[in-house]
Amino acid sequence: MLEALMYGAVAALVSGTVLPLLYRSKNIRKTSFGLSILSSILLLGFAGMIFYTGKEPVFPVIGFLPGLDFTLSADRLAAGFILLIAAVVPGVSIYSIEYVEHSRSEARKSLQTALINLFILSMLMVMLAGNMVGFLIFWEIMSLSSLLLVMHDYSSEENKKAGFFYFVMTNVSTAFLFVGFISLFRLTGSADFGPLEYPAADLALPFIFLFTGFGVKAGLVPFHKWLPYAHPAAPSSVSALMSGVMLKVAVYGFLRFLLSVSSPELWWGVLILTAGSLSALFGVIYALKENDIKRLLAYSSIENIGIIFTGIGLYTIFKVEGLESLALLSLVGACFHAFNHALFKSLLFLCAGSVVHATGTRKIEAFGGLVKSMPATSVLFMIGSVSIAALPPANGFAGELLLYQAFFQSFSVTDPLLTVFLIIALSSFALTGALAAALFVKLFGITCLALPRSEKSKLAEEVQKPMLIGPAVPAALCILGGLFSKQLLSLAGWEIEFPDLLLLGLLLGLIYAALFLIIRSKETVPARISETWGCGIPTLAPYMEYSSAGFSEPLVMIFKSVYRTKIENSAEYFDEQESLFKKGKVEIRLLRFFEEYLYIPPAKAIDIVSKYVSGLQNGKLDSYVLYAFIAVIVLIIATGGFV
Amino acid sequence: MNTSFLLFALLNPLFALLAAPLYMALIRKIKAYAQGRKGPRLFQVYYDLKKLMKKETVYSPTSSWVMRFTPYLNLSTLLVCSLFVPLVFVPEPAGGLGNIIVFLYLLALERFFTALGGLDAGSAFGGMGSSRSMSLAAVIEPTMVISFAALAFVLKSLNLHEMFALTAGKILPISPTLVLVSISLFIILIVETGRLPVDNPATHLELTMINEAMILEQAGKNLALLELAHALKQLLLMGILINTILPVGLSTEIDAGKIAVSTLLFLVKAGLLAVIIGLFESSLAKMRLFRLPAFYVMAFFFSAITILIEVFA
Repeated sequence: MLEALMYGAVAALVSGTVLPLLYRSKNIRKTSFGLSILSSILLLGFAGMIFYTGKEPVFPVIGFLPGLDFTLSADRLAAGFILLIAAVVPGVSIYSIEYVEHSRSEARKSLQTALINLFILSMLMVMLAGNMVGFLIFWEIMSLSSLLLVMHDYSSEENKKAGFFYFVMTNVSTAFLFVGFISLFRLTGSADFGPLEYPAADLALPFIFLFTGFGVKAGLVPFHKWLPYAHPAAPSSVSALMSGVMLKVAVYGFLRFLLSVSSPELWWGVLILTAGSLSALFGVIYALKENDIKRLLAYSSIENIGIIFTGIGLYTIFKVEGLESLALLSLVGACFHAFNHALFKSLLFLCAGSVVHATGTRKIEAFGGLVKSMPATSVLFMIGSVSIAALPPANGFAGELLLYQAFFQSFSVTDPLLTVFLIIALSSFALTGALAAALFVKLFGITCLALPRSEKSKLAEEVQKPMLIGPAVPAALCILGGLFSKQLLSLAGWEIEFPDLLLLGLLLGLIYAALFLIIRSKETVPARISETWGCGIPTLAPYMEYSSAGFSEPLVMIFKSVYRTKIENSAEYFDEQESLFKKGKVEIRLLRFFEEYLYIPPAKAIDIVSKYVSGLQNGKLDSYVLYAFIAVIVLIIATGGFV
Repeated sequence: MNTSFLLFALLNPLFALLAAPLYMALIRKIKAYAQGRKGPRLFQVYYDLKKLMKKETVYSPTSSWVMRFTPYLNLSTLLVCSLFVPLVFVPEPAGGLGNIIVFLYLLALERFFTALGGLDAGSAFGGMGSSRSMSLAAVIEPTMVISFAALAFVLKSLNLHEMFALTAGKILPISPTLVLVSISLFIILIVETGRLPVDNPATHLELTMINEAMILEQAGKNLALLELAHALKQLLLMGILINTILPVGLSTEIDAGKIAVSTLLFLVKAGLLAVIIGLFESSLAKMRLFRLPAFYVMAFFFSAITILIEVFA
């Protein structure tokens, strides 16, 4: 039964990939997205049953290479993350039915449809992979299919650069994973994911490599730079999938390793928690300054990945300290936040796609007044903003509440340094949460409220039905997931002390309704419409409104040491006393710290090395034979063949 | 849900709603005395609210449902919050109401929508207020969380009702570290209610406005609801501070006499605190916006030191 559901889902996704490649027509594309929705319904049953009952399916083993079998498996961890796919995909698929039709040519529309299905399939298979070999193969398919989707609009110079950046970073990630898995394989002698009952010192090397590899893919600071490049280039539905699901695949991979380690060390947890806190803080601080809606959301994804890794870091620390219940609380918090982030971030990316489609620009400064011209999209956007700003009773709050509870109870650890560290981490976590609220006041307020700030925004029209129904699915799940969070947690079998958000939501709703009715019933004078007060200026103009840059100015001032703006000025004078000013230049620019100090130096080094290496590529057959011969000799010596 | 909590759910919000405007007026009065003026009557804020309730509501043509939704949501949020802070007596906890983190984030919910309401009318004042309010709220947040974490750690619970059940009946704070936390809580009270030196509630000058700027476009009933929500927020934060530093008389039993004593004592204690706030405000000038983080660090320090003392003492 379980197996059949899974085979059905895979078959649906495979046919969804193949069909649009064979026939290019709108109906086939519709069918293809229908198939992906069908697959997620099947997956919901499949993963839901495993997750609830804990019963694992049995799949046949397929011989792959001598000693390396190709196996599939699904435990509760994998099932949890498969549920995440099943939750995100329907909304994205419904949205895409209309959204792909905006592509330029018939061929591109069908290709995009096929690739989206392949992308979903590959992510599913990564989670189903029973050992490292399958994991890495599907991981690569996932990376490449998403690369092709990012490069979808390959004609623009900016997108080519973004694609290249993404390509390099995703390969760096895979390279680290390869080394990590190989070192694990050398230790255990098996490619399976099993419990790792080794001393932590032996596992330090695989840990470092796997953490870096998965960290690059998940977008942890300082390996985060590919996100703000790739997301603006990618179609919005793809951004929703990448940010909603693909980043979580990396989280899943890391958890798969970490949870199998029986005795981690304290410094692992400290490292993960530090990386998580820094990512969360830097992500949101950079997002505040951003004026491109999709890039802003990309930075916000970095922030949320940071929050997830904060939870994982706490889990590790508590596990080492022997605080089992707190460890569980943090781990559940991290996973729940991963799930919630998948929902609200895909919702926000889909809404951003609608807004960009309606206005033809990605600049936040050019939006405004959309609450009137795109009322339904604005409501969905509002739900996403409330959820991501972690406001009760939406789902974003539920996940963060678990982590807060873990933090608040964590001061019973007795190591003085650790206590100080946890206080700092908690403050940074709190700061992140409040900055995210400020960020989404800015994003929603500047995008949807007040007067339209440009002609394009004035002419915006509401999008077609599928592009509204699509995001409505995650929006509904965001609200329900928040309200029923306590019930969901106990359904999943975790006994965690957690406030009843359903009660809270009901109270809020009832009091609101009561207040509204009482006040409305007493209404004697009707409301009047009158101009906004503009200090005596007769009509309000859009340029008088607060802008996106203006809104974040106080925070930019407070965190100016993070932004590292460089102010360079030079002046020339007529006289030697420097009193008669001739001409001068002042330049303010943002220092791209990570790019200028961390990415470009190794890139330059690689450039120099490859210049020498390219001399070896002379195109003559005999020299290539010589290289092969030398390689064989070196191999024989290295393996000890002459001894 | 137990009877104790049901009774509490009836009495506490009602009491908070009725008492909240009194302390707005009292602080104004103290400030007026300090400046050598006579000041408004003690019931002036009630009269103001009554007047606003009768007036017509004016909306800007630029504004949307956000501006109409915000006042109702804010007051409902604060009314839910009033179930979290025991003022009349401490009930048995129920349904997770009283969770200190939920309380913090309900305040954030109120702030989020107030800020959006500020942006809605398209006036530069509203935008300025929203921007400043969200920025300052972001900077104070670590302090608030650490202070509440310290409080939760000292009083060994995440639930405000359980915490104050522990302090109730005592005359003085049960642990000397609570004095340190109280200093932080006082600063948070000043910041969250928009008082000097952070924000000046008595001015409508664009250089200094924060909270007033966001509600500048609101009128009539909506303004009354927002003012009431603001007064309620002040009273609840005062309640947390009072229950921490001076829990004397706070009842845990459902007994008409004890509840009456508890309520009356709270009125007196809150009056005392209002006098202190009024004098505090009168003695300070408004700080520059970008100097404020330094002021918050002080509160942060007291709370962090509390946790450290509690862990190692």
